[in-house]
Amino acid sequence: MKDLENGKMSGHSNWPEWVYVGVVIALLCYVGAEAWNIERIVEHVPADAEVIQVIGQQWLWTFEHEDGTKEIGELHVEKGKAYKFEITSKDVIHSFNIHDYVVLLDAVPGKINTVWFSPTDAGEFPIQCREYCGLIHYNMRATLIVEDKGA
Amino acid sequence: MVLELQKPRPIWQIMFSTHHTDVGLLYLITSLAFMFMGGALALILRLELFAPGTQIIADSMTYNRIFTVHGTTLIFLFILPSASAFGNYLVPIMVRYKDMAYPKLNAVAFWMIPPAGALIWLGFADFTWYAYPTYSVISAPGPAADMWIFGLKILGVSSVLGAINFVVTILKCKHPDLPLSKLPLLAWSYLASSLIILVAIPTFAAALLMLLTDRLGATGFFNPLMGGDPIAYQHLFWFTFHPEVYVLVIPAIGFMYEIFPRFSRKPIFSHSSGVFAFVLLTIVGFASWAHHMYATGMSFTEKTVFMVGTLAAVPASAMHTFNFLATMWGGRIKFATPIMWAVGGIALFFSAGAGGVVNSAMPLDFITHDSYWVVGHFHLFVMGTILFGTVGFIYYMFPYVTGRMYNEMWGKVHFILSFVGTVMVFFTQHILGLFGMPRRVYDYPPFPEWVQMNIIISIGAFIIGISMAIFLANLIYSSAKGKPANMDDPFGLGGKYYFPYQAKNPHH
Amino acid sequence: MKAIIGLGLVLGLLVILPAAQYVLAAGDEAGEYLDRRVEIWGLFYRLMIVAFTIGTVVSGTIVWLVLRFRESNPKAKPTEYEGSGEW
Repeated sequence: MKDLENGKMSGHSNWPEWVYVGVVIALLCYVGAEAWNIERIVEHVPADAEVIQVIGQQWLWTFEHEDGTKEIGELHVEKGKAYKFEITSKDVIHSFNIHDYVVLLDAVPGKINTVWFSPTDAGEFPIQCREYCGLIHYNMRATLIVEDKGA
Repeated sequence: MVLELQKPRPIWQIMFSTHHTDVGLLYLITSLAFMFMGGALALILRLELFAPGTQIIADSMTYNRIFTVHGTTLIFLFILPSASAFGNYLVPIMVRYKDMAYPKLNAVAFWMIPPAGALIWLGFADFTWYAYPTYSVISAPGPAADMWIFGLKILGVSSVLGAINFVVTILKCKHPDLPLSKLPLLAWSYLASSLIILVAIPTFAAALLMLLTDRLGATGFFNPLMGGDPIAYQHLFWFTFHPEVYVLVIPAIGFMYEIFPRFSRKPIFSHSSGVFAFVLLTIVGFASWAHHMYATGMSFTEKTVFMVGTLAAVPASAMHTFNFLATMWGGRIKFATPIMWAVGGIALFFSAGAGGVVNSAMPLDFITHDSYWVVGHFHLFVMGTILFGTVGFIYYMFPYVTGRMYNEMWGKVHFILSFVGTVMVFFTQHILGLFGMPRRVYDYPPFPEWVQMNIIISIGAFIIGISMAIFLANLIYSSAKGKPANMDDPFGLGGKYYFPYQAKNPHH
Repeated sequence: MKAIIGLGLVLGLLVILPAAQYVLAAGDEAGEYLDRRVEIWGLFYRLMIVAFTIGTVVSGTIVWLVLRFRESNPKAKPTEYEGSGEW
């Protein structure tokens, strides 16, 4: 590295810097390609996904199943089935989040956002709001209840 | 020196001055005052979050107001003005001119900051520093919200006026014998950040105006009930504020470009790489804004475009890191306080950037969006890189401004405590975010992992708080009673000039 | 320079192709849906491995530089710029 110190104050950089930048760019290409691929496969909604409407409002979550059943603060789903959430808000922007199932999408008034998932474990999982929405944002919670088939 | 406390100048002489060193001092004192005030708010928040349940903040609305003012203050009233402070001091010297291009405008730009700060602090809005509609339009209580809007409007104008001054001073007032390519990298950092400000700020100025008229009910730009789109605000906001985060970091990198070569006793490894990296970041920084909006329901193609734009900006930062490390290589480094802060800052800059690359991967947003991961990530930039670079530079400039030396041992103690505290707080917050804790929450359910991590984070925050108290004491005591510095070489580096520019500038 | 970007793109493709094969083969019927958690956290862990590897290299370099080139190191010698006093 001695030659780097001699008189290379301004002007072009030497090969170590080029190699370094090349490695950085290659890594970034890898990150970009991986991310693009995973997003693509994750966004592919199965055709037979059952629709659940999710309505956020200050400061609670309401759910409407395809058959007209409404639930407030709780959402019952069946293990192994695919569900498509159609998410909107009645007032301000909220964000629908089931952290344990990596479901997260904003509930925007005047818009319907869609995300799908398929629960593979039975049990109870927290639902929380992930966009500041005022006084009770910190406690705008609900519960996802995943039941075994036929329950 | 401008702050000779044992023989103080009349205060009105400084307050009414338009000379760049006086305006710089005013910016510096104001920004430091706001730094301590904003930091104190953080300590209050961390005390509340120490455990589930209510600790010292009685209700969530107060909590919401505190974090809003914390963020707003530290970004707009500390980081930006402290950059302007040193820019004012050094840019005219670096371009070998007698003052800024427009000295009176310079003073005007400064004097807009105290009233804007007053509006923000007297209002104490609660809608986060983003002020997203529709909450900020239909739900956020006034007059706090409106005062915040006016305060930020004024700060935007102040920024733009300052930016105009820097650009004209650097491009038009520089000495004819000084080519742009030989301009010090710190001056380049002011040119780059000022150009970004000029392009980015007007968008937010428009958004603020639209937010205000929406709040007044006169318009429905962002209100779906009136045919508007709240997401439009987010595009306008982030079009300004993503480049704005580069405005925040670029001067801090510039400070490191002063500190590393001087304390390593050799020139910067590649001046032209530094220039190239600043210019690249200035341009590419505009291509990534909607990575903040991955969760709003954008299409796959939109998200991909912004991911690519985000990743494209990384090589520029990587080049700066390489430059600093290559500068240290082969040097004979005196590890005084300023370079300790700079080295710590670069280490944290890398970790912040690595987290940023991970963030740009769209699917990972489903895990991390609006969680403590994000809080940890951006604080590694604003605290770990920007504050570390700025504080290091404050120590470096201390003899220049006051003619005295700060206490070296306490400066090092400050660094060690801050570094330990920063890692404890912000690295842990990344993990807390992975466990799902949302940001901007007054309280949280007692999940054991959340409870344990919040304790660690709060303790780390108080370690930082103690270190900042030490800093304040060092600053005040040493300004008044510190040992007089050898103005040719206060750090004993052996160079002939503390500021090489000084000796070649006939006006100083 | 172009060669390096090209290399990067090729590497990226080499990653996508095996993954794409897996996905095209994945079922779309009941009981065989993709598990978001597995995909997304899998991506996260892969990127973390990259980040921590680079992090170790960078931090290790910084620690080595700081120790080797500090003025109190017995091997420390003045830089060639110290003679003229200007750098």
